[in-house]
Amino acid sequence: MRYGGDNRGRLLIIVLIVTSLFLITLDLRGVAVIDGVRTGTQTALTPVQKLGSWAVKPFRNFVSDVTHLGRTQNQINNLKAENEKLRTRLQNRKIADAQLTQLKSVLDLAGTAEYKVVSARVISQGSSTSFTQTVSIDAGTSSGITQNMTVISGFGLVGVVKAAYANSALVQLASDPAFRIGVRIAGTQQIGILSGQGTRKGVLQLLDNTTQVKVGDVLLARGSQNGRPFVPGAPIGEVTSVDNSPGAVSQTAEVKFFANFSTLGVVAVVVSNPKSDPRDALVPPKPRPTPLPTVTVYASPDTATASQSPSPTKPSPTKPSPSKSSATR
Amino acid sequence: MALRRYLLSIPIFAFIFIVQESVVTQLRVPFGGFSLLLIFTLIWAAMSTPEIGALTGFGAGILMDLSQSSPGPMGHWTLVLILAGYTVAFLGYGDDNIRANPINIVFITTIGVVASQFVFLLLGLLLGQEIGSTSHILFLLAGSAFWTAIISPLLLKVISFTHSNVFGTRSLL
Repeated sequence: MRYGGDNRGRLLIIVLIVTSLFLITLDLRGVAVIDGVRTGTQTALTPVQKLGSWAVKPFRNFVSDVTHLGRTQNQINNLKAENEKLRTRLQNRKIADAQLTQLKSVLDLAGTAEYKVVSARVISQGSSTSFTQTVSIDAGTSSGITQNMTVISGFGLVGVVKAAYANSALVQLASDPAFRIGVRIAGTQQIGILSGQGTRKGVLQLLDNTTQVKVGDVLLARGSQNGRPFVPGAPIGEVTSVDNSPGAVSQTAEVKFFANFSTLGVVAVVVSNPKSDPRDALVPPKPRPTPLPTVTVYASPDTATASQSPSPTKPSPTKPSPSKSSATR
Repeated sequence: MALRRYLLSIPIFAFIFIVQESVVTQLRVPFGGFSLLLIFTLIWAAMSTPEIGALTGFGAGILMDLSQSSPGPMGHWTLVLILAGYTVAFLGYGDDNIRANPINIVFITTIGVVASQFVFLLLGLLLGQEIGSTSHILFLLAGSAFWTAIISPLLLKVISFTHSNVFGTRSLL
């Protein structure tokens, strides 16, 4: 650290810092030029991002797959038996099938609620370096998407359009720490505010402290005026734990979002408000336990006796006897 | 002269920015991932004079602010990276024990990346942004440090070679 600096160097640093402060001030004051530069950059980058998405597709999950190597060992061994061409085909088919399934489920959801939607593919995830949770989708203003529109997946709410460009849009995920949404609990209709926490779990704060929330309650979007930014009725998540601290000003609960933000492939942007509030129509059905098949084995005591002590007497025909045992699988 | 050579580095940083936005953001890596541009900038600054370090931080900061995933106002990352670039360059300038040792460069870069993100966070707080839960932030910072320590040694030789060619200096690494 022998550097002592000189006046010219110091002046340069001061000029740079003042310039950055000037930029911050201009942006916070909403100067159109700054927004224009960002929009222009994003418009120029969209084709490159699409190209990158196509190029990276085969090994997108490579790193996370490596970390789960132990769990996928059997699958890897099976895949090794296949030839390269078949494997590539299979992978492409799987990707297409997964996207088709996601598209089908999101259209089912939108159809039930009578949302008018524009479907889009997720082309990139926002960098976590800036502590935000965002994704980019490949549809923008040219498809009728504008700022503050609700984005859903087949499982429910994904987020809201934060910025729309010509052929792409930036979606703020519901898990973003800055995300807030008014919610109501299906059935009881209690209302509260849900906020993102940077993970798949959010925090629900009830507005009325006298009401009760319980684990398993389903949260739905309460909806905004004219359906923007949030359309009513979109399923959001399920209460996983309730904070019943005595003396708390308001009751809070932890909520797990229905949508899995790390596996988003196809989403839909709600471009038009439904004519009527779907109420609780979009509450996902409770999983029903699969009935276990019961196998009843009848054992005849006569047969057992016969096998233990052979005798010349003719064994009686087998029939259901009172001494029977049942085994449940 | 140095300024003219600095201008030569702009296409390189633009390329890294495009790679970051179109490829790195596609990869679903555990622990929150990393910013290639941030790592590249700090290694580049560590090999430069403090003035060039600050200018490098300025240019890279502008690019990071242009990123769609940047939540803050334009100039937010710029301010952070000017300070980071200058500091990293200042720490190693004139001391070949630091600049000629890859381990030191990786160490300084890793600390620099985490410190930059932390300052970015603090500045964001002052500007009224939401930052989420503390545990999540610590997780992301730790993940960022982990990835920087992994990625930096892989990039070091390439960046050193490019830097020495741009500025016409002898590579110390």
